Amino acid sequence: MAAAAAPASSSSSPGWDFTCNFEVDYGSEEHASIVYKTLAVDKELQPDKVRREMTVSGGKLLVRFEAVEARFLRASFSAFVDLMVLITKLVEEYGVSKEEHS
Amino acid sequence: MASSSPPASSRPPGPFALGLESSANKIGIGVVSISGQILSNPRHTYITPPGHGFLPRETAQHHLVHLLPLLRAALAEADASPADLACICYTMGPGIGGPLQVAAASARALSLLWGKPLVAVNHCVAHIEMGRAVTGAVDPVVLYVSGGNTQVIAYSEGRYRIFGETIDIAVGNCLDRFARILELSNDPSPGYNIEQLAKKGEKFIDLPYVVKGMDVSFSGILSFIEAAAIEKLENNECTPADLCYSLQETLFAMLVEITERAMAHCDSKDVLIVGGVGCNERLQEMMRIMCSERGGRLFATDDRYCIDNGAMIAYTGLLAYAHGVITPLEDSTFTQRFRTDEVHAIWREKEVPVLNNMDSDTVAEVSIDGVSVPTPIAVDS
Repeated sequence: MAAAAAPASSSSSPGWDFTCNFEVDYGSEEHASIVYKTLAVDKELQPDKVRREMTVSGGKLLVRFEAVEARFLRASFSAFVDLMVLITKLVEEYGVSKEEHS
Repeated sequence: MASSSPPASSRPPGPFALGLESSANKIGIGVVSISGQILSNPRHTYITPPGHGFLPRETAQHHLVHLLPLLRAALAEADASPADLACICYTMGPGIGGPLQVAAASARALSLLWGKPLVAVNHCVAHIEMGRAVTGAVDPVVLYVSGGNTQVIAYSEGRYRIFGETIDIAVGNCLDRFARILELSNDPSPGYNIEQLAKKGEKFIDLPYVVKGMDVSFSGILSFIEAAAIEKLENNECTPADLCYSLQETLFAMLVEITERAMAHCDSKDVLIVGGVGCNERLQEMMRIMCSERGGRLFATDDRYCIDNGAMIAYTGLLAYAHGVITPLEDSTFTQRFRTDEVHAIWREKEVPVLNNMDSDTVAEVSIDGVSVPTPIAVDS
């Protein structure tokens, strides 16, 4: 697993000035999609303040956060990453990747 | 196709269920069989320093750290592999949001990884089913008392109905917060330490006694005793033990009163106490006296089953699963508010043929015979 984060400063749409993009490389479309499906069930609690978008591509989970204030971005991002780390550990412990079999 | 030799030990017949519980400051994972046998039930409690309660964020962090080690322990101790499991059960609510999410999200991931269906479980109903399974109580009036809940419950027509409840804080919350005033240890639990100290109490201090019909209220009593404690301890008018003793006696008398009233309502003689406060032996003793005066029985369990645990979630989830209930992934959320009577206890309706034996038949017949025409006096006056 490899992660890359790119905090960007501004301007996809007005008001949502605080953004953060990062990706986690699971090296397996199946594993990335399990993490995606697990984390997609819980919506952001304040959709008027923080938005989260996730996609799966090429064995990677791509996540984008947008918020109206830095503190909302920090809180949502940090809670999300903490949970994602546990889910990733579960996938690493119990996941049997199809790629590994071929 | 398993040609693996089954272990020599007596292994209960499948299916098994895995249960994940993390609604408050404990995280527990259990494996149970449909017969109600508990194969494993490890748990870990987040214990804060004296004088402090547990906060949502820190508690969730604790659960995140302990989930995987507990999961490994639960599977190893049960000698179960994912293939042995029929379903993955988790606490949907009620509880604290952050902590609840840990079990909910983990259950989803395991369900996807292992290809097993999810079953979302109501925490309160799980306490009741665990208590019934462990004690053998068939159709008792249930007193559910914990740090977050205080309810008097009885089963009727497919649901666990709430006959009475707290209108503000839970009885366990009242005890826990008073323990903070006295700076008692939170290890193993503040309530346990209050109970031990109360045994040394000699002087009863009058406290407000707040029963409103079938409901109770504890927040005013807490405010009163918080103020009284500071003043009386300063003036050496009483000891911390006296305060613990007086608080317990008052709170538990209120609980016994509303439980007794529910018994009269339901024409039931048996009481089951569940929830974390349910392992308090003084509460059990007071309730036992009341039950014996009415010719009934008290059913209670010890801290292994009273206190939040994974097995109760697994067992209740498995009951629902055996009756065709599963939770689709997109609905596998969690919720802080989830009332006991929102759950359709489908297994109770069909349990006579499926799970239980003569006992429930006889009891059912007795109660049918016992249905009497209400006395005409009550009609118009």
